[in-house]
This record gives sequence, structure tokens and C-alpha cells, in this order.
Amino acid sequence: MAILNQTARRRATRLQHVLLVMLLAVGLKLSAQTAATKEYQIKAAFLFNFAQFIEWPADALTNTDVPFRIGILGDDPFGTALEDTVQGETIHSHKIIVQRSREIGDLKNCQLIFIDKSEKNRVADVLSELDSKPTVTVSEIDGFARNGGVINFYLEEKKVRFEINPVAAQNDGLKISSQLLSLGKIVQPARGGK
Amino acid sequence: MNWLNNLPLKRKLTLIILLTCSVVLLLACSVLAAYGLYDFRQAMVRDTTVLADVLAGNTRAALAFQDDNEARQTLQALESEPNVSAACLYTAKGNQFATYTRSGTKNIFPSQPAADGYRFERDHLVLFRPVMLDNRRIGTIFLQADLRGMYDRLRLFSGIAILVLFGSFLVALAISAPLQRPISRPILALAETARLIAKNKDFTVRVPPQGRNETGLLTDAFNQLLVSIEERDKALRTTNESLKTEIAERKGVEQKLQDQLSRLGLLHQITRATSERQDLQSIFQVVIRSLEDNLPVDFGCICLYDPATHMLTVAKVGIHSETLAMELVTNNQARVEIDQNGLAQCISGRLVYESDLSRLPFPFPQRLVQGGLHSLVAAPLGVESKVFGVLLAARKQPNGFSSGECEFIRQLSEHVGLAAHQAQLYEALQQAYDDLRQTQQAVMQQERLKALGQMASGITHDINNAISPVMLYTDWLLEHEQNLSPRARDHLATIQHAIEDVAHTVSRMREFYRQPETQLTLSPVKLNQLMQQVIDLSRARWSDMPQQRGVFIKMETDLASDLPIVLGIESEIREALVNLIFNAVDAMPEGGTLTLRTKVSKTTPPLVHVEVSDTGVGMDEDIRRRCLEPFFTTKGERGTGLGLAMVYGIVQRHGADIEIDSATGKGTTMRLIFQVPVTAPVETNKPETAFVIPARLQILVVDDDPLLIKSLRDTLETDGHFVVTANGGREGIEAFRAAHADNKPFAIVITDLGMPYVDGRHVAEAVKKMSPVTPVVMLTGWGQRLMAEGDIPPHVDRVLNKPPKLRDLREALVQCMQSAKS
Repeated sequence: MAILNQTARRRATRLQHVLLVMLLAVGLKLSAQTAATKEYQIKAAFLFNFAQFIEWPADALTNTDVPFRIGILGDDPFGTALEDTVQGETIHSHKIIVQRSREIGDLKNCQLIFIDKSEKNRVADVLSELDSKPTVTVSEIDGFARNGGVINFYLEEKKVRFEINPVAAQNDGLKISSQLLSLGKIVQPARGGK
Repeated sequence: MNWLNNLPLKRKLTLIILLTCSVVLLLACSVLAAYGLYDFRQAMVRDTTVLADVLAGNTRAALAFQDDNEARQTLQALESEPNVSAACLYTAKGNQFATYTRSGTKNIFPSQPAADGYRFERDHLVLFRPVMLDNRRIGTIFLQADLRGMYDRLRLFSGIAILVLFGSFLVALAISAPLQRPISRPILALAETARLIAKNKDFTVRVPPQGRNETGLLTDAFNQLLVSIEERDKALRTTNESLKTEIAERKGVEQKLQDQLSRLGLLHQITRATSERQDLQSIFQVVIRSLEDNLPVDFGCICLYDPATHMLTVAKVGIHSETLAMELVTNNQARVEIDQNGLAQCISGRLVYESDLSRLPFPFPQRLVQGGLHSLVAAPLGVESKVFGVLLAARKQPNGFSSGECEFIRQLSEHVGLAAHQAQLYEALQQAYDDLRQTQQAVMQQERLKALGQMASGITHDINNAISPVMLYTDWLLEHEQNLSPRARDHLATIQHAIEDVAHTVSRMREFYRQPETQLTLSPVKLNQLMQQVIDLSRARWSDMPQQRGVFIKMETDLASDLPIVLGIESEIREALVNLIFNAVDAMPEGGTLTLRTKVSKTTPPLVHVEVSDTGVGMDEDIRRRCLEPFFTTKGERGTGLGLAMVYGIVQRHGADIEIDSATGKGTTMRLIFQVPVTAPVETNKPETAFVIPARLQILVVDDDPLLIKSLRDTLETDGHFVVTANGGREGIEAFRAAHADNKPFAIVITDLGMPYVDGRHVAEAVKKMSPVTPVVMLTGWGQRLMAEGDIPPHVDRVLNKPPKLRDLREALVQCMQSAKS
């Protein structure tokens, strides 16, 4: 019986290998078409997941009737991906609202703001606007975290990674989970850069 | 469960205790083990669930942000949990995200997570738990815990349980021995006591008391039972003993009664046997034989007492005592002196019992002791206090006779005395009667003859006158007439003889009343020769004259070849014989056989018998008695009545005797018996005819007289015969039957007539029944009487008188063998 089982298992393994190869082939073709879309689907999920591991001060989200707002500043790279991700979900028992705007002023009530690359030149302004506000800022611009942003995406070996500036978060009264901290790359703010 | 029942009580109790303890302990251990196992599993599930949940919490971030390195590192922390052999993290979509495999093990993880929960597989516990992030399921964690620990623990537990069981078993064993003792000891004591009682039948044993519990009660009850059994046993024994004694006594009494009865029967038998016999010898013989056989005794003998010489003469010795008697020289006819021993007392009329002969110093007892006899009973034989003999009975062992037997012998001796006395009386009476009859006859004869003689003298005168001319002329004719034919001369000579006879007769007529002249000149007479003369002389009368009437008379002669010469007057004897022949012819008017016979009697001294026998009408007793009287005739006018009277006169003158054997219709034999002169006459007897000694014969001699058997055996064996002797009739018949069955039959049987139990008649009958051709010769002292009465027993060929002469015996054998051959 044991021999039979082993044989059966070996067959199954071989089948998996075949499937894997096939999947890889399909994946390569797909990635060629929708590599950008796929990246932002992951980033959208990450945005949602960040909110799970970060605690906002009590006054920022007083009760559960207050919705959790995710703002997108600048161009929207996500398409429908973000809406797909948060559809029907809650963050810390709050409903989720996605707001898009080119002006930071429109997004001052948001608990989490994604700053697109299109706003690269206005980062310092935006950050100062949002200073002392319990807002998690996320971007994909080099040096964003070092310059006062909280979380910054970057790609490493075609995998989405992120940097975290815990000092900036702490200054804004946010508590970032140690689990999240252990996953991100910790960045210290540039001295005097602020 | 049979073996359990058969176990000894002690072991049974121990076994029960041990079994109970072991079962309870085993049960307890099993329950504990089951519970332990169950608890262990629950705890394991709990622990693994907690572990899985902790891992789920720690890895949700990594899962959420798809950091598989981080997740793997987290899972790697399981290294410190040795029970967990594998772990796997799945994404919400069910893809493997991160895996952990304990070093040294190899695992294939399920490609898809199963439903949440746990299940026990063969070697491990498999657990699936959700990974939650803010109420949202982001994946599944899979843990696989090794069950080896559980099994190790189970093994350990089992080992401990076995140790505990074993230990408790030992403890129970140690404790059970003293514990079961209060129960087993009293029961074992009971059992041992019961066994002892059954073995020794000793009911005095008791079981030691056991206290007041149930076994104590049982023991007490058992002891009480024993007490009652012992009492009963004792009573039973006593009864049994007394019963035994009683039975023994009764048996003794019964034995005595039985003895008494058998002796009574014997007495009765002897008495009857003796009453059938009238001569002393056979009475004695029957008595001694019965004593020897039936009492029995080793030695039996009867002695007759002679008061004149004061001696005892042995009259009869038993057949079994014979050899003993030979040694003692107390056989028949031996004499025993009456000394100062018990015999003197016995002669004086008392029964004497000598219980130990060896103590007596007298010669007669000493002789008996030498013969091996040690106890003796001597009983007097007497009538009316007059002892005429002694009955002796002896046995080899001392104190051989009981008082009952002594009494029996005493009674027997009285009976024998009486019987002997009666026999003697009978003999005397017979003798007296015979004497009386003879005297009476003689007197009558004398009276008649006296009267007749006177008458006859007258007649004689007339007759002499009448025959004188006949005499004269006859003589004259013979002397002077020369021309007579020889036949005439012959007839004349006969007439002359006849006339001479007549003259003689007539001259004797006067002598009827005259005393016989002793001075008669007697000359030797050859009777056989005379017989031939007489036949010729009377031929006309017995041959010619009857033939004229058509009657035939056959004349036969049977003359003894060795007849002695007697002394007498030839003419007278001739006349008598002629007269007898005439009478015989007259007695046979229808013809018949006339036999003239001469022979010598077997008596001592021998007598010569001359017989004239006819087969005629015979005489009745009255005629027979009177036929010798003168003028007594049965012939009417033809007879003178003088014929036999004359014969009688002649016979008397010769000192001879006449016997008449006759019965009506059976013919008559007239027998003249002459004495043989003591000194042999001038002409001696012819030499005896040489007997052809018969060929070697196988002869059976049956007799109860040992001496006779011996003499017969000696004599016959000298003649070259092969002799078998038999002691008594029954033995004789058995011997004959055995020989007959063996196909070696006896050629001839010689038997005694008178024997106890089975006599000669029975022997002869039995012999003839088995072999009709075998001749039987009977020897008897009664031979004469038998012959006289025509009473030769059936089945007997020849009767010989005792004592048998050798000559007669040989003759008898020759004759019997000849007739047997023919």
C-alpha cells in the first residue's frame, strides 16, 4: 500500500510540475499585456492592508459611523483596482470611501492618501500640508519616506516592496504594527529635511 | 470451571483473591489509560490549536503583504516545538504560501487546505485553522503534530500499569495466604478428619473447635454427628458381636443336629440292612462296612466272645481295615486276649472309649498304635446283659470320637446285638423245626410200616406160593431143554432174573416191619454199569409198550464219569431203579424225556447221587409226602402201592437216603443218595478226566470278602488268567463298564451273591445288560438251596457252592466258555 501511495504521490508531483510550466507560460504572456495593471492591483491590496496594521488616534476616527477615507492625489494609476479591493470591506469596522482629487485640500479628511508620481514635484508641499495630521501618506517616489512620507513603494526583483518612516508616522500620532514594520524597509528622515 | 472445583481449597481461595485483585486493577488501569489517552489527545488538540492560532496571528502580516520569506521565518520558530513535524500556510485562494518541515522528516503537504478543524491520522494530528485579518480571512494555516509522544506516553503508562499489576499481584499473593487461612483452615481440618475416619473407620476422632462463626458451627455439627455415629457404631459392633456368637452357637447346634440326623439315618440304614439278613457273617459285614464308609472310621471290626476261653475271636474285619488288620494280625479268625485293658470292661457290658491308646501299656492297644490308630471305641454286643461279642471302631487321630459318635456306636452295638441274637434265634428255630418234622415223619412211617408189615407177611406167603412153579419151570427149561432157540433162552433168562427179583421183593416184604439187618453182605456196586443194565431190563416198558400206544419216550443218560464205587446189594438197587423207571414212565402218559443221572455231590464227605427224572405230570406236596407209603397209589386199579415203598425199604437198608423233587406239571426227580465208603473199595475211582484249562481269560472277580477275593485271585492267576478284582457290587459294575467302554471286556464275571448295597443279582443284571454273552458265575453259600428251589437267579449262567473247589471252578469255566462259544 505504501508503495502504491508513493507511486501515486510521485505521479501527482509530476502533474503539478507540468501544470506549473503551463501556468508560467500563460503568466509570461499575460504579464506582457497587463504588467502595469497587475502591479497596481497588488499596490491597491497593500494600501488596504496597510490600514489594517496601523492605528489611528481616537479623535481621527471617533465612531464607526465615520467612514474610513482613502484619498488618491494626482493621477489615478489603480483604475478600478482599488474599488475592487475595498468593495464590501471595512477597516477597523469603518466603511471605506475612496476619494480622488488633484488638490490636497480636498483630501484633508482622508486617513490614508496615495500620492501619485504625477505629484512628484509637490511632495514637500503636500507633506507640509498634512503635517501634524494623523494621515498615512503612501507614494511611489524615490526618497519619499526619507523626506517625511510614511510609506513608499518600490520594486525589488519585480516584487512590490515598501519603505516605512516610523518617525514620520509617530509624529503624526499613528501607531504602526510591529508586524508591518518588520515587513517594510525602515527609513530614517533626512536631517533637517523636514 | 471444573478444574476450579477440583482445586484444593487453599489454592482456590488464593486464586480467587488474586483473580479479583488482578481484574479490578486491570480494569482500573484500563480506564485510567483510556482516560489518560483521551485527555492527552484533547490537550494536544488544544495546544496545537493555540499554536496554530498564534502562528496565524504572527504570519498574517506576511501573508497580507505576500512576504513569504518573512512567513517562512516565522514558521521556522516551530523548531522549538518538537511535536510539530510540519506546517504550511495557504493563501485565501488556497495556494501554498509558506511551508515548514521539521528537519529529518519528509512531508507532502495537502495542495489545498481542508475544512477548518482537526483530525487524527495514523501517526499524527492534522489541524487546519483560518488566518484572520480584521474579521477577514486571508489564509489558512496547516499544522501536523506527531503522535509519537502520545504513544510513548501510552507505552510508559502501560509499563507502569504492568509493574503496578505485578507488584499488587505479589502483594495480594503475600496477603492472601494469611487472609484465606481463617476460612480454609477449619474446612481443611474437617476434610482431614473426614479422610482419617474414612481411612481408619475410627469414629473417636474429633475436629478441634473453631469458634463461633459458621465454620465453627459446621465443626460443632460435624463433631456431634461423629459422636452419634460413634455411639451407633459401638452399638452396631456390640450387636454384631452378639449376633456372631449366636450364629456360631446355632451353627454348632445345627452341626450337632445334622450329625445326629446323619447318624440316625445311618443307624436306620444299618438296622434295615441287618434286618434283611439272617446269617451273622453278612450282618457283621454290613455293619462294619457301613461304619467304615459312613461314620466313617479308619478301622472297624467285630469280635465274638468265647466265655470258656475268655478270648475274643475276630469275626469280621472291614474291607478298608483289612490292610491295617493284616498288620495288626487281627484279621478274621484271629484271636485277641482279654487282658486288663478296656476290653475286660467292655465284656462286662460297658462301652469303652479310649481317647489316646498310646497311653495304655497293654499289648492290644499297643498293636493298634503300631497300626497308626490312636482312639478306640469298644462297644459290647449283647442280649439281655449277656455279652457275646465286641464291636471295635478306631480312628487314627487321638480324641477321634465325639460323645455323639460314642453314643451312636453304643446304640448301633445294641442293634447289632439284637440282630445277631435274632439271627441266632432264627437259625435255632429253623433247626428245631426241621428236626421236629423229621421226627414226626419218622414216627408216622414207623407206625404205618408196622401195621403194613404184618399184613404183608401174609401176602408174601401167597405170592411165594404162586411164583414157585414159575421159578421151578423156568429153571427146568433152561437146564434140560437143549433145543431152545437163543431168543427163547434169552427171554427165559430175563424171566429168571425177574422172578428172582420178585422173590427178593417178596422176601423183603416181611422185612418192612423188621429192623434192617446190619449184617447184610454188601459188595461194591458200579452204579453206572447198573444204570445200563436197568435201561436194557426195562426197555420193553419205556420203549416198546408206549410206542404201541403211539407215545414216544426219550431216554437220556447223564452219568458222572468219575463216580465212586458204593457198597450195596446190586439186585436190590437194580430193583429199586427199575421201579423208579416204571413210575417215571407211568407219570408220562403223553410221552416225554426220561433222564438217568449219576453224580457226586460237592459235600464233604462226598455223596453219590443217582437220579431218575421225568418230565411228566409231577406231584403235589401232599402226594409227594405220602408217595413212599405202602399201598399209596395214584394209579388206581393198575397200581399196587408197593413200588416206592419197596424202594424206600431198599434205600433204608443201604443206609442211603431218598429225595423227591417234584411239582405238579413240572415232572419229578427221584434221587437216591448213597454214602461213599471211607476206605476206598477194591476198585478205585477212575482217574479224573483231565480238564482242559481254559485259555488265558480276563476275569472280573466281584466280592466283598477280601480273603475270598485274594484266594480266588491267587488260584485263577496260577491257572494263567488275568484277574481284576472289585470290592463290592458298585465297584464291580464300574470296573466292568470301564473295561467294556475301553473295548477290553471281561471274558467272564465271577460274583458273590450277598454283598451290601449292590448284591450279586444286580451285578449279573448289569453285566448282562451291557454284554449279554458274557457268562456270569455266581458263588454262594446258598447254592444248594437255590438249586433245590429252582431259584437260579436270572442272568446267572452257573451257580457254584462255597467253598468252591478248584475242580468245580475249572469245570464251570470250561462249561461257561463252551456255552458262550456255542
